[in-house]
Amino acid sequence: MVTVGDFNGTVKPDWCPACGNFAQLSAIKAVLADLGIEPHNTVVVSGIGCSSNLPEFIRAYGFHGLHGRALPVASAVKWANPKLTVIAYGGDGDGFFEGTQHFYHTAKRNVDITYIVSDNQIFGLTTGQASPTSEIGFKSKTTPYGNIEETTNPLTFGLAAGATFVARGFSGDPKHLNEIIKRGIQHRGFSFIDVMSPCVTFNKLNTYDYFRKRVYKYEAKDLTDFSAAYKISQEWGDKIPIGIFYEKIERSYIDMDPVASQTPMIDIEPVKLDEKFVEEFL
Amino acid sequence: MSKEEVVLRIGGAAGEGVQSAGSVVAKSFSRTGLSVMTYNYYQDIVRGGQSWYQVRASHNKVRSQGDGLDVLIALNMDALLRHTNPEINEGGASPLNGIAIFDTLLTGFKKQNNVTYCPVPLSEIAGKHSKVSLVRNTVAIGAAMASIGMSFDVVADVIRDQFGGKGDVADQNVSAAKDGYDYYNQNFKKLDKKLNFTNKKKYLLGGGEAVGLGAVNGGLRMYIGYPMTPASSALHYISSHAKDFNLFVKVPEDEISAINMAIGANYAGLRAMTGSSGGGFSLMVEALGMAGMLEIPLVVYEAQRSGPSTGLPTKTEQGDLNLVLGASQGDFPRIVLAPRNVYDAFLLTREAMNLAEKYQTPVIVMSDLYLAEHLETVDKFDFNFEIDHGLRAQDNMKNYKRYEYTESGISLRAIPGQPGLMHNEDSDEHSETGDVVSDAETDPKLRIAIMEKRMRKLNSYVKEMPPTDTYRLDDAEYAIVQWGSTQGVVEEAVDILRDKGIRAGAIEINRVFPLNPDIQDLLKNRKKIIVVENNYTGQFNRLLKSEFLVSTSLIRKFDGEAFYPGDLAEELEQEIKR
Repeated sequence: MVTVGDFNGTVKPDWCPACGNFAQLSAIKAVLADLGIEPHNTVVVSGIGCSSNLPEFIRAYGFHGLHGRALPVASAVKWANPKLTVIAYGGDGDGFFEGTQHFYHTAKRNVDITYIVSDNQIFGLTTGQASPTSEIGFKSKTTPYGNIEETTNPLTFGLAAGATFVARGFSGDPKHLNEIIKRGIQHRGFSFIDVMSPCVTFNKLNTYDYFRKRVYKYEAKDLTDFSAAYKISQEWGDKIPIGIFYEKIERSYIDMDPVASQTPMIDIEPVKLDEKFVEEFL
Repeated sequence: MSKEEVVLRIGGAAGEGVQSAGSVVAKSFSRTGLSVMTYNYYQDIVRGGQSWYQVRASHNKVRSQGDGLDVLIALNMDALLRHTNPEINEGGASPLNGIAIFDTLLTGFKKQNNVTYCPVPLSEIAGKHSKVSLVRNTVAIGAAMASIGMSFDVVADVIRDQFGGKGDVADQNVSAAKDGYDYYNQNFKKLDKKLNFTNKKKYLLGGGEAVGLGAVNGGLRMYIGYPMTPASSALHYISSHAKDFNLFVKVPEDEISAINMAIGANYAGLRAMTGSSGGGFSLMVEALGMAGMLEIPLVVYEAQRSGPSTGLPTKTEQGDLNLVLGASQGDFPRIVLAPRNVYDAFLLTREAMNLAEKYQTPVIVMSDLYLAEHLETVDKFDFNFEIDHGLRAQDNMKNYKRYEYTESGISLRAIPGQPGLMHNEDSDEHSETGDVVSDAETDPKLRIAIMEKRMRKLNSYVKEMPPTDTYRLDDAEYAIVQWGSTQGVVEEAVDILRDKGIRAGAIEINRVFPLNPDIQDLLKNRKKIIVVENNYTGQFNRLLKSEFLVSTSLIRKFDGEAFYPGDLAEELEQEIKR
């Protein structure tokens, strides 16, 4: 029997009080316990940013890597040992600026990992600069006259890249967030969850109140309907949908690898070389 | 030139079958027990231009592509003029002093002394067997092998293997080669050579393949790479054998992803490796430092080509040493190895796999285009090798600390999936337990302790380094210092100097960083220390001087081509007499 307490780390989170990341940390721990996944079979990989400090605060195998690079590390951990539950975690700068190419290709490969993005629409750790998901007109240290660059839509992008599970959560609705993360971890394939996560210190626009006035729970009629998912992913403004937009079961990358599909790589003994392996050079 | 060796060159445009003809020639030699080395001069194009392929063979050990040229196969007029011109200076290559085999269609050119012209109706014969452009080079191979006195059966077998056994294409090529072979024998004299052909086949392979084979022998389970000349020869070998070797092979979106994946796999307990040339390696730099910080084993294959930037993509250089030594911010332990020949590439890559895991740190295997792409014979492979996974923690052990301070600097590793050993591996500076110390609780004492712990691993490695190899150094007045792929050519240059009564010897370095302290003694009491390297600024020379506080002279080459023994001996002699 695995309990939430089993995932309690010894280091106290260094996030600001009321930071949206707390709800996500709680949700991840609760879901893992609920699914009976043990801490030693859990790997949490992150990049760099406030949210990316999360592996320090959970009792599991944590990997706090480089800005934008969580996904390739997480992919290879899963390919090496598919028995592990692998969660990649980071912020919007980490996922949609620095590491965008990895997001696209990991989604397309349908690597069987869960990618949770704490989307606060700003750079927090570096004390408040506009990020790829900052809204047009958003004022920050680096955009004192207002952001003029088009806002990245992570959900549309995730869909276009070929993610087989695409969802949006909100840190202000933990119960709903738990449910989405649970479905994401259970999904076999690449699950992408964008979580609206207010930065209480630097983002004075996209606050808890901002979202509470706008979010509504979206229930898809048919989760495999790509056009419907695309359409709902485009909705943003007075009304902001949260929920699972798309889910489709497809073979994950490892199911198609000629070697790894047969036996987990970690269980394969290295080949003992002998003369027959070099006959081709004779 | 010695009668006990032969140098053969095939010249033509890209797309005329220069390289495939060259590999047939090389394999015919290695199958008859000769020691072989090849050299491939080509450009970054798929069709056209001028390329050539040189094969040197002898029953004595050949250690470089060699000086001199006995037999030329010229597949077009440009090649015929270029390689018979006494003024040729293609990066050190010699002009022909022997037999030229070319199509009878090529006429009206100015003849050179020292060349025996042997026109063969290549196109006419080719047309009888297949499309002219497909087998013309094979007819020429037949003629060339006749000129050397090679048995046709050997050539026929090699051609059959090249074209996949017994099909029509193989038959057409064999019969075309036979006609070329017979035509030569009926019309021209054989070359005056004394080569001992035997039936003791030798292995013939390139440095890239040797790197792949060494990695597999060293327990490789996953290779992640992005194509870039000249690192691709290893990638291709490994990819094409993924099923034979039970490997997971992946070409991801970029080199940044490649190295992060290799790190992720090693973190998860699977021996993984990545590779690229300088451009791709430049992208890997940040993650290299992360592997050092997180103490994750990692082997990176870095195959140099001429830089900077895109540089000369198909040309050789040893210009990435500064890059590799300085790659990534901050200080962390790294081991840099530079194989000196094909078999050394096999041995050192294999060893790198163990070193990375034993010392839990990045190991970079540096090759270059010259080593990665030339073929060389190997008599025998010794596959006897014990895989050392280094220090590992037992499941559920009490008070586990991932980065525990130890005298050796090496701490017990825990692999995800092991119960009771959960911890965080952090690219931020961290404590013994892996907790971050860089934010709220920065602690200067702790920083010193963890930094020294990591760096101690290098001291431990230095203690187990084998003695540095030397060549004719014992009584040498002049020490020639080389690193990496220049070993063979330097040895041959030393022999030339010795024949002239100059007491030269070589120090042959394949463990570039850290340098073995025993080199200090090897450098002592020499009249001159001369460093030889393939780059502009003398990158290794600076390292050697700063490590051992010696004064040196430097011989450089940065024209994109490898050193040639005769030219190098001449330069060394001038430097010695200066």
